[in-house]
Amino acid sequence: MRIAAALLLVVLVAIHADAQGVVAPSALTQPATDSWPMYNGDYSGRRFSPLMIVNSSNVQSLSLGWTHRITAEGPAGGGGSTSAVIKGTPVVVNGVLYVTIPDHVWALDARSGRELWHATWPSRGGWHIGNRGVAVLGTSVYVSTPDCHLLALDNRTGKEKWRTEICDLDQFYYASAAPLIVKNHVIVGVSGDDLDIPGYIESHDPETGAMQWRWYTHPEPGTPEAKTWPSIEAMRHGGGMTWGSTTYDPELNLIYFGTGNPQPVINGRKRQGDNLYTESSVALNPDTGKLAWYFQSSPHDTHDWDATQTPVLFDGTIDGEPRKLLAQAARNGWFFVLDRQTGRNISSTEYVKTNWTSGLDAKGQPIPNPRKEPQVDGALVSPNQAGGQNWPPPSFSPETGLFYVNATRAFSVYYLYENENDDKPQGWGGNDRGGWSEAMLLGLDYQTGKARWRFSWEGSPTTRSGLLSTAGNLLFAGDSANNFVAFDAAQGVPLWRAGLHASITNGPITYQLDGIQYIVVAANDTLYAFAATAPAGQP
Amino acid sequence: MTAMRPHHRGLLAFIIAVGGLLPPALLRAQGGPADRQKVDPAAAARGRTVYAAHCINCHGSSAKGGPNGPDLIRSTAALRDRLGSHIGPAMRAAAGSHPATLTAEQIVDLSQFLRERVEAVARNRTPTAPIDVLTGDPEAGRTYFFGAGRCSTCHSPTGDFAGLRSRTPDALTLQQRFLFPTLTRSEKRVEVTVTPLSGAPVSGTLVRVDNFRVSLRDASGDYRAFSRVPGVKVEIRDPLTAHRDLLDEYTDDAIHDVVAYLWSLK
Repeated sequence: MRIAAALLLVVLVAIHADAQGVVAPSALTQPATDSWPMYNGDYSGRRFSPLMIVNSSNVQSLSLGWTHRITAEGPAGGGGSTSAVIKGTPVVVNGVLYVTIPDHVWALDARSGRELWHATWPSRGGWHIGNRGVAVLGTSVYVSTPDCHLLALDNRTGKEKWRTEICDLDQFYYASAAPLIVKNHVIVGVSGDDLDIPGYIESHDPETGAMQWRWYTHPEPGTPEAKTWPSIEAMRHGGGMTWGSTTYDPELNLIYFGTGNPQPVINGRKRQGDNLYTESSVALNPDTGKLAWYFQSSPHDTHDWDATQTPVLFDGTIDGEPRKLLAQAARNGWFFVLDRQTGRNISSTEYVKTNWTSGLDAKGQPIPNPRKEPQVDGALVSPNQAGGQNWPPPSFSPETGLFYVNATRAFSVYYLYENENDDKPQGWGGNDRGGWSEAMLLGLDYQTGKARWRFSWEGSPTTRSGLLSTAGNLLFAGDSANNFVAFDAAQGVPLWRAGLHASITNGPITYQLDGIQYIVVAANDTLYAFAATAPAGQP
Repeated sequence: MTAMRPHHRGLLAFIIAVGGLLPPALLRAQGGPADRQKVDPAAAARGRTVYAAHCINCHGSSAKGGPNGPDLIRSTAALRDRLGSHIGPAMRAAAGSHPATLTAEQIVDLSQFLRERVEAVARNRTPTAPIDVLTGDPEAGRTYFFGAGRCSTCHSPTGDFAGLRSRTPDALTLQQRFLFPTLTRSEKRVEVTVTPLSGAPVSGTLVRVDNFRVSLRDASGDYRAFSRVPGVKVEIRDPLTAHRDLLDEYTDDAIHDVVAYLWSLK
């Protein structure tokens, strides 16, 4: 028995060595359909796949290919326990699927879900709220940890190659974002919302882990943008975390990401002004970390509406002219379309009805209504703190021209607490409470900002499902009633449904191996891989 | 990261023998919550006295700084401090402006006090004092109740709201229940009528609904479930629909006035 098992292992190792080869940089600029090589599938953030074995004509035949349930035992250390909920997007390269939760990375056979290796990190703390996934380059798998580390693992074994600290646990930072590889840069953001600390994003050498640059999400003192803060001290303790996903335009050589809420989070009375560069879409040069432009979607936010939703890149037509565009459905309930060369606003539209603005300024930025800032006796605000949209990734289909968002319309009451309502509020100093909400799936026309179709999720107050669209005219999405659904992407009509053991907790992905197209999605601790085979005679 | 193959633990000896995996890497010492001191309230209270005697004039009453001293909640030395490891040397380095007479024990107590302050700020998304929502005008709330708010269409101060205050823990809870009511404390339920493809319509209390299935309990208590295939009609009657529609209409002033009025219904 033991010999048989050992022989089996030798065979497995041989297969793995063959499967887990080197990932070349070109695999990232032109992803093959047999892979999902980064968080968003490609640099654009569209989460659109050209695969069409599964399409709106045959999706009824989509069936279960495999499942894999992760088990993570033991406490995570200082920062609380790890719950085995997959909130990240798996990465697939060379037939291997990498999936994470905080402090854990698994490599699975992408054809069967069988485990190849499982790497665990003995945590020293940090908030274990979620991990968004890995980045892969060469023979390395990169992941961030709640206790402020960026790790490089060997893609064949999970063994650590190097580690580097990317933030300070003593200042209550932590890390959750998926790194992004751009050329010879591993770019990673940070989190932390307890104390008043500055946000930043930084780049590391893929081979050594050495830091290449760091860009703080606040202006330099003395610049016009610094005048959006009452003091340098407020600015340097003003938040703006970088925990969302980063996209990249190789032609313009710019990376794009959204920044988080300013700090103190709820009590903004002593940080009067717009508070740049918090709550902004920003474009940086990935080689230098220098700012190219910014657009602020929530000036002077006091509602914890991190603008960290994916900045989705696509080329489109505006007023008859071809344009390089960036679109974001922000947590504050607004859908923004920008020119991604300049950052200039093209349109700003509510994708869910909100009640916190008094219009738009000349730059297309919503103007916050001071009466809807948190109040000691409460202010009824829509959306609520979770927002019209949060971290679950959206999708854009170039075939339909629709930007898809799994949206929530929500109300809650925002309170300002007396315990920090002094001369120098710190931390949060308030919060929202209670509420009512309804969830809906929207197909937004990027040219008008209006929904071309809307599908109400009945019985789902909100949803944590990301989205995937394909050239097969399909859109995959989940509700909060354990349904995983394929829609006609053009019409918003459900075509196929699977009832899972729990609701979707991540963004679905797709890849094709050996003529089989897989759709992989997570519900809590379990990956479900649905599969369909190409008709005979087709690749 | 340590690599493990949980499903092949029986093979561990073999794996190590062939060099397939290395034993777990050793962690180097580093900062973090794991070695952060747990606040000792008695020591923190002693530290508060030390702070009041020696530090408060420059660093302010809540340690958030003043004209002559930096904010200690935001101080890297204070945040990295472990029982005086950083604040002790920092004070000695600036001996001219800091008391040289503090004992090692007093510095530890001071460290405990500052740690307590930092933790309090880091947790202040939770209130430590009652939230006062009684800022409205009860008379204006009464007018709204019987007028623009149309509350009296369904509710009455002498009927279902008689003794409301005695049944409500506090005014904050009242405000939340008024804005976001549930049927938890009500005898009313969400009712549903399903018309199947064949057969008579079935009515009852809604158990669960999504876009693909619906289930109910009928008058006899039987559980009935239906797939929402094309042609199946589902009609839901939710007594709270009117409340949800009002969320788009309320002004914050009206909310505070109505809460003040309802709280006056003893």
